Amino acid sequence: MVKFWILHGIKNGILTTKYPAKMPTVDEIPVSSIPPSPSTNTSWVDGEKICPTGSIQAQPRRNIDLGKCIYCNRCANAGFDFDDHDKSEMGRTIALQAKKISAIDLAEKNIVEDWNKKRAIFKRSFHIMMIDVGSCNACNLEVLNLSNPYYDFTRLGIFFTNSPKHADALVVVGALNTAMVGVLKRTYESMPNPKVVISVGACAISGGIFHDTEGFVSPIQAIIPVDVTVPGCPPTPIQILEGLLLTIGKLEKTSAATRLEDDNKTFQQG
Amino acid sequence: MLYPFIPKFVEQRQVEDPCGALQTSSVFEIDGRPMAILTDTENNNTILSDIPSRLGDEISVLIKGETAPGIQVDLDLGARVEGYGVFTFQYGPVSSGISEAGGFKLITYGERIVKVIPQINFKKRGVERRVIDMKPDDALLLVERSAGNFSASYSTCFVTCVETCLGLEVPSRVRWIRAVALELERIYNHLGVFGRLAEAASQNIATAKANALRERILRINAKYFHHRFLFGLNRIGGVNNNLLAKEERRDLFESIRTLTNEFSNLVTYFLSSRIFLDRLQNTARLPKQDALKLGAVGPVARGSGIGLDDRLTFPIEPYNDIIIEIEIDDDEDAMARTMIRIQEIQSSTLILEQLLDRMPSGDISKTQPSTEASSALHNTDSAFSFCRIESPSGDLIQVVQLDQKGRIKMLHIRPPSLVNWLSFARSLEGNVFTDFQFAFESFGLSYADSDR
Repeated sequence: MVKFWILHGIKNGILTTKYPAKMPTVDEIPVSSIPPSPSTNTSWVDGEKICPTGSIQAQPRRNIDLGKCIYCNRCANAGFDFDDHDKSEMGRTIALQAKKISAIDLAEKNIVEDWNKKRAIFKRSFHIMMIDVGSCNACNLEVLNLSNPYYDFTRLGIFFTNSPKHADALVVVGALNTAMVGVLKRTYESMPNPKVVISVGACAISGGIFHDTEGFVSPIQAIIPVDVTVPGCPPTPIQILEGLLLTIGKLEKTSAATRLEDDNKTFQQG
Repeated sequence: MLYPFIPKFVEQRQVEDPCGALQTSSVFEIDGRPMAILTDTENNNTILSDIPSRLGDEISVLIKGETAPGIQVDLDLGARVEGYGVFTFQYGPVSSGISEAGGFKLITYGERIVKVIPQINFKKRGVERRVIDMKPDDALLLVERSAGNFSASYSTCFVTCVETCLGLEVPSRVRWIRAVALELERIYNHLGVFGRLAEAASQNIATAKANALRERILRINAKYFHHRFLFGLNRIGGVNNNLLAKEERRDLFESIRTLTNEFSNLVTYFLSSRIFLDRLQNTARLPKQDALKLGAVGPVARGSGIGLDDRLTFPIEPYNDIIIEIEIDDDEDAMARTMIRIQEIQSSTLILEQLLDRMPSGDISKTQPSTEASSALHNTDSAFSFCRIESPSGDLIQVVQLDQKGRIKMLHIRPPSLVNWLSFARSLEGNVFTDFQFAFESFGLSYADSDR
């Protein structure tokens, strides 16, 4: 019996991704997780009309809010691009927004320092707990997929834990439901300090496609402070992994995040 | 009869709704039985009530029992459990065993479970109410995201309903491509259930293997359908991905076949492990009579000896055209349900082989409604249609009504998990608490599905 498992293991070889040492492959970042980008013949006004979640904004500033994007590809009709145009860049999650980059004004130096200090502790082993506050189950499965042999996040010192009291980070998935507000708050409060919150998926960040259903209350960050967001519907395990690595400071400000800022600038000019 | 179809309008009459009040409703004939579309005034739900049968009542009770923290679904209204040492154990909504937001009240006196009350609706998003007055195209985005891991079933069921309403005659090829997606979805969900059962039994290597196989299917989904969970598969009147080249289809099938061969290899060794078998055999028995009475669907029903499978009993194209083997097991326990799933992975592979081999040529979308069909639609004031799809967890029913402008007037979803909660609760009675995880996983229930 035991012999069988060992042989089986040897026969199959190593499945685990080379990420983060190398860029993820095309298999790991499917087309559906590539966010829209404006091209030369993009009509922003049309895009705003087409977008079902209000992710595309033409006024007052041209912007794509990836926290709202559900990757439905409908804005392709308005000239937005979904091609894997730069494969080298695409590997990096395109739109991780760490607190230090976007959510908090960079002028508030204290907060940035706090965030860095907080992060320094997590460089060793890092335990995450997932809480579902109203998801469709896809984000849950993608977070749990991190433990499968293809991603194997334990090699990076990240582990699941089942109790908030043992958790360093709370991974929140789903569109926050009325019934889960109190539960989320209690879970957050019972975590020891220092703690971080990572909201995964468009639903957690902005409500996504459920932003105007009756069950939806508000984005997670309106209830508890969120440190890192991972957009996607659902984000692929690699993107979630990148969010986690960014949290523990094993990835510095991603090339992707830089690109997001640059893109914003170009949107304004164009 | 070929599904989907437009139900026959019978009459307008007074029907008792789940709250006991009388309301005027249109009664339709579905499968030779009268059914009424009712508004559940308490929760503003639309429900499809099977007028005379017990099943309809049970579903109504489950919906009525409702929601919100604190108030639970009570399976037998008025029943109380009392006795020395009996206490209620709250499991969820944040728990290790279930990765979703949902819970149970376990009434127990230490080890044996006396009664289980599933607590659903922790994440009720209200898709059915939200889509009212939306264009079917936009509603599709919400419907396919109601239950992420049953997305292909949900969206296929929905678009089939809408197409029937609009009188769109969809090309055969579209239906065949949808069926390919449905079978892929079935395989990855069954693999997921197997993986979680192995995890519950602390069979680490088997868990890793099963999860790796599942990841491979997700990648196949992404490769051929551009989404790991098959979102964006359908659009009204068509599909978004054309499996055009014969080589492409052959590659797809080859990768599935190698994968399922590996899986059966894994299962052979796995089923020789007493550690695993002991956990599953005789756990959470669901006798056939109970399954019938509670209206169990899908692998749960088939594991209790009921040969209910929409692919055979209510076939939509192409399921009427291919050979389907379904398995029925009379053992009635968690093992039987697991075996059903294992065998279904194999039978789905055979179905995929036929689908991919004999796929008809043609367009993959249709936009113009054919005129003669749309004129025959209106049995009441607006178009109305009904469809059943065998999702990985069982029979998914959707009823769609469109108004004159082609917007959604009513959407009713009867998710498979919703009915199976009743069977699950019944099967756990008398089991020991420590077998809970095996019982739960063997049913393959999803809270997102029942909470839609």
